[in-house]
Amino acid sequence: MAKRNKNLKNFAWYALFVFPLLFVFATVVLIPFVIGVGYSFFSWDGLPLNPKIFVGLDNFIRLLSDSRFLSSAVHTVIFTLVAIVTINVLGLAFALVVTTKLKVRNVARTMLFMPYLIGGLILGYIWKFIVGDAFASIGETTGWGGIFTNWLLDGKLALAAMIVVATWQMAGYIMIIYITGIQAIPDDVVEAAQVDGAGFWQTLFKIKFPLLMPSFTICLFMTLSNCLKIFDVNLSLTGGGPQNATEMFAMNIYNEIFSLNNYGYGQAKAIVFFLIVALVTLVQVSITKKREVEM
Amino acid sequence: MKLKKVCGLLMGTVMMASMLLTGCGGPKDASGESNSQEGSGQEQSAEGEGGETSDDGAGSSEGGSANKIIVFQSKVEITDQLEALAEDYQEETGVEVEVWGTTGDDYFQQLKNRLANNQGPTVFSLAPGTESEQMKSYLEDLSDLSFVGQLAEGMANEMDGKVMGIPYTTEGFGVVYNKSLIDAEALKSTDDFINMLKEQQEAGLAGLGLSSESYFLIGHILNAPFAMQEDPEAFIQEVIDGKVKLKDVPEFQEFAKLYDALRTYSYNPLEANYDKECGDFATGKSAAIHQGNWCWSMFADYDIDFEMGLAPLPISGNDKITAAVPTAWYVNSQASAEEIQAGKDFLEWLYTSETGTNYLMKEFGFIPIVEGMENDTLDPLSTAVIPYLESGKTMGSALNAFPAGMVDVYLVPVAEGFFTTDMSTDEFLDQLTDAFVQAGEGN
Repeated sequence: MAKRNKNLKNFAWYALFVFPLLFVFATVVLIPFVIGVGYSFFSWDGLPLNPKIFVGLDNFIRLLSDSRFLSSAVHTVIFTLVAIVTINVLGLAFALVVTTKLKVRNVARTMLFMPYLIGGLILGYIWKFIVGDAFASIGETTGWGGIFTNWLLDGKLALAAMIVVATWQMAGYIMIIYITGIQAIPDDVVEAAQVDGAGFWQTLFKIKFPLLMPSFTICLFMTLSNCLKIFDVNLSLTGGGPQNATEMFAMNIYNEIFSLNNYGYGQAKAIVFFLIVALVTLVQVSITKKREVEM
Repeated sequence: MKLKKVCGLLMGTVMMASMLLTGCGGPKDASGESNSQEGSGQEQSAEGEGGETSDDGAGSSEGGSANKIIVFQSKVEITDQLEALAEDYQEETGVEVEVWGTTGDDYFQQLKNRLANNQGPTVFSLAPGTESEQMKSYLEDLSDLSFVGQLAEGMANEMDGKVMGIPYTTEGFGVVYNKSLIDAEALKSTDDFINMLKEQQEAGLAGLGLSSESYFLIGHILNAPFAMQEDPEAFIQEVIDGKVKLKDVPEFQEFAKLYDALRTYSYNPLEANYDKECGDFATGKSAAIHQGNWCWSMFADYDIDFEMGLAPLPISGNDKITAAVPTAWYVNSQASAEEIQAGKDFLEWLYTSETGTNYLMKEFGFIPIVEGMENDTLDPLSTAVIPYLESGKTMGSALNAFPAGMVDVYLVPVAEGFFTTDMSTDEFLDQLTDAFVQAGEGN
């Protein structure tokens, strides 16, 4: 009897903590997701009183020949590949710098983390001014027209601007994760390596990096999924322009649903988008997981 | 240590937030259930009612006519005045008017979301055309309002012979020019206009300014060649169906020629925004801008030392400006019968009572469209629209018949391409044609 009571009490405690979250997760993620999958088989404009027409897999077939969607996929892939490298390299470099005995390390950490707190939408508007108006007028006054033109008027440079802003935003955040990873490396291992005559680079590559693998897993996962899903910076910085050269996946879907009123078709795109993001990140996590070493 | 504390705090907030969220979720869900039970017998109107009551608490549907209505509209310039009007309306009639705010950009999406969730406003605004057509099942027949017969011809938004939308006003747009720099009488053809652009450039000025916002970049200026067709709506459909290539239509050839001259002789519109476009014009750096009477409010901060006028875009000898109803009032057909009545009463009052018309004319600064209404306090640009209206030298807004989202999603990229490369006018027109075909496919 007493045991059963205890079990019940335990269960009640678990329930108290789990159910609210489970409820929220179900109502805002699971259920809408399932309904969304259903909508992707319809041609519908999102208004309950307007007709929903069942079109089967037509929406998905149409996707394959949607040149605009496919080119947005190309932009997203280019953006993601470059941004992952820049964000992680910079984040790791920052982390290595601020974990040394540098005097200003605490201030530096705060400053480097700050951009992440501002938020993508506002960052986008700030940088729109910098790479647009400010760069153009610097170019005019100095005559260095090669770099200092209005970046947002050129497709490739606008994509570069997106990468710069995303890096500026995310690097500080990724840095924090690397810092915890670096601090978790026991000093004795590093010292032992140094006593054995390992230099800075050898310690870095042979000792620190293998022990940092768990951090790499997390950081790569976060940057990968965040970059694939990027929307806020895209919306405020370039708006997809010029000439759709920087239209990413998420923005393409947003336009399809909210501007063009193709709710069903947009939903189909979103499902495909979800599958791609899930697949890519799962593959990445499984690869990097294998390379983690146990202490 | 610090990190632990922060972590604890974070966890705490997340927990709190989730609790709050669940708290919110509960009652809503419950009302939703009760809704479906009530609604099962009485179709959607009952559901709408349920949604409304749960939304604003006190039962607004008791008694004969609702004592509270909600107004949601897209014209941000009149928001403050509308709120003042709401207070006056409550004083005169005792019916409370709640005005929902919007930033303008995402108004239509917000409206759709709210209507789709049965939490829609009683009275709302839409652009007559594609927008109102899409929302048709949510619109109430307004034919029985007393002043409908006195509306200027063709202004009311009619569907199947019923008046569904009451126009706000009419707005005119075309070439807003500086009378001390340009002689509009001399601009009779595309070539005249291009010569003017050349001359202005030689004088160090921009002949015609545009800006990067979708409608100011291409939407409005593209209206002219479309509206000049015999039957613009049928023409748009033919372009969408691929039966007509814009390249083969003379008005579009001239339009492209003019657009090309803009690229050569004026500043790059992609580098300007609405503020800069109007500011340059007000300070005399641009001789003209492609705008409408709405932009007068932009000049309030400047000491304007010249007279301005409104001229047609003279492609293919065009002598008409565009004058059309930008937005119209609609009543939500999904609201309860009492609320619908209250919404209609509100519009009736707005267009017939002394206070209401006073607001329309003096406070909103609208160009009158109801017979017998007069406005003697119009700003100079709106005044410039009147002669065109009186002489019938106006054309409609063909762009309201474009497929939904057309201008922002399909036309802007083409214009951006045109202004950032040296695309030929033929390529430009081909891309415009393709844009219509693609946009049409989705709808």
